[in-house]
Amino acid sequence: MARVEFVDVSKRYGEAGAVNGASLTVEDHEFLVLLGPSGCGKSTLLKMVAGLEDVTEGEIYIEDRLVNYVRPAERNVAMVFQNYALYPHMTVYDNIAFPLKMTGVPKQQIRERTLRAAGALGLEPFLERRPEHLSGGQRQRVALGRAIVREPAVFLMDEPLSNLDAQLRVQTREELLKLHARLQTTTIYVTHDQIEAMTMGHRIVVMRSGVIQQVGKPQDVYDNPVNTFVAAFLGSPRINLHTGRLRAEGDALLFANEDVTIPLPDRLVRQARAAVVDGETALGVRPEDIAVDLNGRVSVGESVRLSATVALVEPVGSDLYVNATTGGATWMARTDPRLPVIPGQQVGLVLNLANAKLFGADGRNLAVAS
Amino acid sequence: MAIETEFNELVGEQTATRAARQAVARPMLRASSIYLLVTYAVLVVAGFVAMVPFLYVISTSLKETIALFHYPPEWIPHEPTLVNYKDLIREHPWLRWTLNSFIVAASVTVIKVVIDSMAGYAFAKMRFPGKDALFLLVLLTLMVPFAATLLPLYIIVRELHLTNNYLGLILPPLASPIGIFMMRSFIESLPNDLENAARLDGCSELQVYRRVILPLIRPGLVVLGVFTFMNQWTSYLWPLVIGTKAEMFTLTVGVQSLRSLFTVNWGILSAGAVMSMLPLVIVFIFLQRYFIAGSIAGALKE
Repeated sequence: MARVEFVDVSKRYGEAGAVNGASLTVEDHEFLVLLGPSGCGKSTLLKMVAGLEDVTEGEIYIEDRLVNYVRPAERNVAMVFQNYALYPHMTVYDNIAFPLKMTGVPKQQIRERTLRAAGALGLEPFLERRPEHLSGGQRQRVALGRAIVREPAVFLMDEPLSNLDAQLRVQTREELLKLHARLQTTTIYVTHDQIEAMTMGHRIVVMRSGVIQQVGKPQDVYDNPVNTFVAAFLGSPRINLHTGRLRAEGDALLFANEDVTIPLPDRLVRQARAAVVDGETALGVRPEDIAVDLNGRVSVGESVRLSATVALVEPVGSDLYVNATTGGATWMARTDPRLPVIPGQQVGLVLNLANAKLFGADGRNLAVAS
Repeated sequence: MAIETEFNELVGEQTATRAARQAVARPMLRASSIYLLVTYAVLVVAGFVAMVPFLYVISTSLKETIALFHYPPEWIPHEPTLVNYKDLIREHPWLRWTLNSFIVAASVTVIKVVIDSMAGYAFAKMRFPGKDALFLLVLLTLMVPFAATLLPLYIIVRELHLTNNYLGLILPPLASPIGIFMMRSFIESLPNDLENAARLDGCSELQVYRRVILPLIRPGLVVLGVFTFMNQWTSYLWPLVIGTKAEMFTLTVGVQSLRSLFTVNWGILSAGAVMSMLPLVIVFIFLQRYFIAGSIAGALKE
């Protein structure tokens, strides 16, 4: 069973901690994505699984075997690197066959398995070429071929699509998913691209400064981020986060700062009361939960209407991003691309609070805290 | 008809534009031609100056002794002769000296290329305590002039009974750190992920070095090889100190020994110089591509 388990794993370079106390289990057949900004420790965690970085503290198990002191080649893992790491002096065939040659697989089997891997990735026409004569996408497939030919227990992928152009990235992403569906090999995939994480991962792990922030299914993490960092990291355009204080007015609870006063719906009131919030809070509303109302006709469930001035309009084809201000506060709304709105225009912003999130002074989501 | 007029107008416009462009370009072309001419003239003069001693040695080697003292000197011998070459080979152990030079230069080259690339790999890619201090120590040895270590080195080699011995000629030059420094720079420029991939693919450290690193630094190895071979072929001081018997002379020491105490046979001496240069010239002609690439590698490395 190809399960990977991290038990309180830390990595330090001198005084600086790259990974701090990571505990996590990657299930058999799972496609797990490590997501976070540069320097958050996701690649370090991956390299520790591969054996390319020593573990300072904690234990890593692959297939229930402690691998802290096992050589990389003996861990039964294969890795795809960000820059492909193909051997420039070898042909495509030799690149794919190399791990088999190094592990003493019989010649006939090497040939069969290499051709099978090359066939699965459509690389047969290029077998005699050197990497320098291949396009970025073809190189990426060779790197994949070198990984799958070994039939490892775990695939480790370190931002494998980041060097591809946008179109090829989408295409290769689909190919990777198909490959995983066919091979069912446990995969740990590192990326800083939230779209890749959301579309590919069975579960995603959001990391920040060497610490795991949240683990969960992509939609769950998106809907219920544990803190403001996760809320802001997932979602493009990013979530609207505004700090303020809670103020009671009769039965109602208001979120207020010097720019806006927003009556909170019952759900958020319950969360705030359960967490006994006393001090600063942050209200988070995703751009897709804000409608731009030009004629006062928009009505959405638990909504609040704010008067705003359009500052910037960004058409992206499928959507229109409207950046509007209410006093000193800026709101980003994702709306219909054909909405006739121009900078400087006075509009109504209708905030649908059904999915709004309330965060405590420490940045934690009150829904999760309560 | 209209199309034809339009076409003619268009062609007319284009021709006019071309003429205007050429009018601007002409003085620029003239300036660049003059610059090119001056550059070539300077290079030709510099090349000629560099070649003169070389050509004069060849010329001298093809003259009878009596012709050497003609005035004005004969640059191109009236009656070229190979007598100096014949005398050199007949009267002196020339072939033995050539063989000695070859054995020493080839051995030092092969061993140095192997150990310097290994040390360069360790310093460039491996992590071990005291690595930086050790590398600094290696580099410091570059600062010590050979003359300062000559005597202690001679005493060590003599105590090891390696005078007049190939080992005595081969071992000391191996300790030169310049190759390590050069190989480290070459290997450092290779991405770490290549070795990581090789380790994951099942390579031991030695296999990473042999199967991945070595093939990728081949141009660097050739440059180091050519430099080392040239250095050893033209090395004079150490072979002079360590070899006292004529059969253990290398070419450089052998050529020098052609001068007797009271007379110098310039013809034979020149023939010896030409013959000793010949292998180097051949090596250079075949490997000049790498040689020049290596000389400018530092300037172009990203």
